[in-house]
Amino acid sequence: MGKDHGDDIDALPLFPFARTDPFHPPAQYAEARRQCPVSPVRLWNRQRAWLLTRLAQFRSVLQDRRFSGEFARPDFPAVTEARVAIDKAERAFVGMDNPRHQHFRRMFTREFSHKRMMALRPRVEAIAADLLDRMERKGPPADLVADLAVTLPALVMCELFGSPYEDHAYIMKCAAGRHGLRQTPEEAARTASDLVAYCRALIDAKERQPADDMLSRVIAEFVLPGTLGRDEFADICAMILRAGHDTTTNMIGVGTLVLFQHPEQLARLKADPSLVEQAVEELLRYVTPVQFAPRRVALEDVELCGMRIRKGDGIFAVAPSANRDEDAFPDPDRLDIGRDASQHVSFGYGIHQCLGQGLARIELHVVFTALFARFPGLRLACRLEDVPFKYDSQIFGTYRLPVEW
Amino acid sequence: MPGYRVEVDATRCIGSGQCVARAPEVFDQREEDGIVVLLLADPGPARREAVAKAALLCPAQAISVVEAP
Repeated sequence: MGKDHGDDIDALPLFPFARTDPFHPPAQYAEARRQCPVSPVRLWNRQRAWLLTRLAQFRSVLQDRRFSGEFARPDFPAVTEARVAIDKAERAFVGMDNPRHQHFRRMFTREFSHKRMMALRPRVEAIAADLLDRMERKGPPADLVADLAVTLPALVMCELFGSPYEDHAYIMKCAAGRHGLRQTPEEAARTASDLVAYCRALIDAKERQPADDMLSRVIAEFVLPGTLGRDEFADICAMILRAGHDTTTNMIGVGTLVLFQHPEQLARLKADPSLVEQAVEELLRYVTPVQFAPRRVALEDVELCGMRIRKGDGIFAVAPSANRDEDAFPDPDRLDIGRDASQHVSFGYGIHQCLGQGLARIELHVVFTALFARFPGLRLACRLEDVPFKYDSQIFGTYRLPVEW
Repeated sequence: MPGYRVEVDATRCIGSGQCVARAPEVFDQREEDGIVVLLLADPGPARREAVAKAALLCPAQAISVVEAP
């Protein structure tokens, strides 16, 4: 069989593939990993793109400057037309190549340093304890998504930003509006600009009344001296707010459900809570909420795994597939909280790897420790078939998760 | 057993902090911008595994483990 270099666009499979199993990514990825780890696909606009389905190419391409991460480029690949509208409205460094990316990102790295995050841990623990108190007082059943998975990251982001908690419902509406696979470009662009406008107003308020929070520190150090514009800062704040909500929320929801589905693994974790850190890495690998990222576009013709990628072709580094790479993770479809899964790419790889990964880890360590310590008998309060999964989102998760104890 | 040395490239570093989480006696982050600081260039055999892991996990490939001659 000759290799398909994707010359006949209409003969290529349409991407994204539909997800049908809540616990496993689409079967096409496993097939691609076996047959053709760098696989050509067709996007909604008839653009050719290549799926990187194994960890080796995922890592090499995301280190390779022949591939650009500039969202503003006209040939930057997207899964929907609405996503294009969002990409073109994105002005923060998530959508920039170096050196511009590094210039902006370095103003924020210290806010997410390992020590800063460790220092934040007691606050995250206090927030989690308070939410679990409320669940306990209300009594079973609870919706773990509304009562914990959505609220905890929202409160932590309020802490970081020094923003009023009353605003969090609005922020989440803007954040969630971004990831639907069925929204119109107009809806997508509006929710994006609404959140930036909210952040711009918050920056003005912090400038008038500084406090001990990230916004006030960045204003004092970079905005007032003129290194960072107020509008640039608003774009970055909106990016951080969006990134800080949905992903962690869905890891908490699906991660808990995955543990319910693997009672022997859950029993191990409950018996030895010191396993939580590696259990969280394994859950990050197994769940992989972000479905269709990171993305790049080829700046020149590149030969990869015997395939001819042409200038202007899109690239999807498929994290859910790389995290099931048999070469990196033996028996990858099996959940094993005893394995070292730390090489997973749920936070991406390369210069754009998640800025908030340290914060996400602390939130997840705290949740998966405190939740089962508080409710050792926690279990699903409905049939699995009745759990509403987010098959229509670029970030996989559940809309609700009824639990009892 | 041959020794090894650690080298870091601060110009590549993106401040992910994964090295500090893995080997806090070997790596730190600058207070002003979160960029890597090498605390121990010769961390010894007991820390070799943690250092190798930190180098593998560094998303910017800013850490090198160099075999001593």
